Amino acid sequence: MKNKPLSILFSLILPALIFSAWHFATVAELVPTLLLPRLDAVGRTLFEQVSKGSIIKDVSISLSRIIKGYALAVAIGVSLGAVMGMSRIAEKFFSLTFTSIRQIPMMAWVPLLVIWFGIGEKSKVAVIFLASYFPILMNTISGIRRTDNGLLEVGRMYQLSRWEMFRTIYLPSALPSVFVGLKLALGISWMAVVGAEMIAASSGIGFRINDARALMQFPVVFCGMLAIAVVGVLMDAIITAASKLATPWERVR
Amino acid sequence: MGGELEIKGLYKSFMVNSQKLSVLEGIDLTVGDGEFVVIVGRSGCGKSTLLKIIAGLEMPESGTLRLAGKPISGPGFDRGMIFQEHRLMPWLTIERNVALGLGRVKKKDRARIARKYLSMVQLEGFENAYPSQLSGGMSQRAAIARALATEPDTLLLDEPFGALDALTKIEMQDELLRIRANQKSMMLMVTHDVDEAVFLADRIVVMSSRPGRVRAIVNIELPEVRDRGSADFAWYKKKIFDYFFEHGSEESTDFTI
Ligand SMILES: Nc1ncnc2c1ncn2[C@@H]1O[C@H](COP(=O)(O)OP(=O)(O)O)[C@@H](O)[C@H]1O
Ligand SMILES: [Mg+2]
Repeated sequence: MKNKPLSILFSLILPALIFSAWHFATVAELVPTLLLPRLDAVGRTLFEQVSKGSIIKDVSISLSRIIKGYALAVAIGVSLGAVMGMSRIAEKFFSLTFTSIRQIPMMAWVPLLVIWFGIGEKSKVAVIFLASYFPILMNTISGIRRTDNGLLEVGRMYQLSRWEMFRTIYLPSALPSVFVGLKLALGISWMAVVGAEMIAASSGIGFRINDARALMQFPVVFCGMLAIAVVGVLMDAIITAASKLATPWERVR
Repeated sequence: MGGELEIKGLYKSFMVNSQKLSVLEGIDLTVGDGEFVVIVGRSGCGKSTLLKIIAGLEMPESGTLRLAGKPISGPGFDRGMIFQEHRLMPWLTIERNVALGLGRVKKKDRARIARKYLSMVQLEGFENAYPSQLSGGMSQRAAIARALATEPDTLLLDEPFGALDALTKIEMQDELLRIRANQKSMMLMVTHDVDEAVFLADRIVVMSSRPGRVRAIVNIELPEVRDRGSADFAWYKKKIFDYFFEHGSEESTDFTI
């Protein structure tokens, strides 16, 4: 679809349908409001939370945790992924350890992380780091691996150093795959933050959802879910934009 | 100016499915300074492997290779290579691609040198284009400019025009002769196009396969500017073809006429 506003409108059709179905199902009492709160009730709660500023506060607290854990995961995941992708020896050295750690569900880490990092910010950031690290690492490795051997031969012909090989051949070639990892990891880090904020938190969107669920305030739960969805879409759009900026050659095709 | 290329008793094998496959056996070949030698042979006979060994991208198992008296132990700026695929970095502009091998040149001179060679292959105005915006022929010109930019004494060409349409191919062959008159570098080219071989070569090396050996070396004694329609040209083509069909069982129709 060439026309931008039209294409945005088109992607809004399905959400609009879902919301209308939700609205009519609850208004007509086809579904008990205990299972699914009415849309207007959620709307009212949302309006309240926005005007009080509490939801903004919750989202920004969670967001800052995500950004810390995610940034750490990007830094370590991309650099280690690049090293493992370029060197068979590094790959052999780390792969068994990483493959085993990767199998452990992130929630299983929580008790350990609390012991190591306490119940403060650090353990929450650590959960997000652990959750988002592996998708970034794996996609970076596979991107680097898939670098065209023919291009590498050209680099060898010109006796490029290892760093130059990385910068001019491996990295640009791996970028699309790295960005797939970055997007995946971002989605996962929102899942992780809800888990992380089960750890003795008193704020954050994950805490708010858990808290409201315990108090049976379902409209609040839905508000939290909506907030995560909206912020998630925005951050995904930011990464998409960054990936377009980082790979200008992909656009001229 | 470089010196001659001297290959003696070259042997190379690969492990394929844990079996040793001899690819090149007993290759002896000397190519003079500034000479244009074309290697023909059927697909899989080890032509690319031979060029890669000369380029320093593959190591021989035994035998000696000397270029201008020095043993070849790895890639070097005295050699440039052009592959069948253009192998331009999709993420670099044409100018940056051509400047890829200019790491040793002062930064401020790189763009100027790249532009000089781009204009030599008639690609002025495409400096800032990406490879995906170029046609196959233009991409291959850019690859030639990249190989020339480092001013190698020896140019290795592995079926450089194999993927181009017939007309573009003829254009590129003329272009290559023009470049050669200019640069006076040694050219060692692989092709499976006998017409191309006779049109370009001072000498044609005919290879046999499994294992790859030098079967015959044919001097092409034709004028500098060659007429593809002349009787002498046809005679040389037939002579080369005959090497592939004289033992009817061994060779098949791997060649374009
Ligand atoms: N890296 C490699 N590993 C294993 N076998 C190879 C390798 N490179 C080439 N070969 C084999 O060596 C033979 C010669 O290959 P090549 O030099 O590419 O032939 P040509 O260029 O004449 O078509 C082929 O049988 C090919 O499969
Ligand atoms: Mg080949």
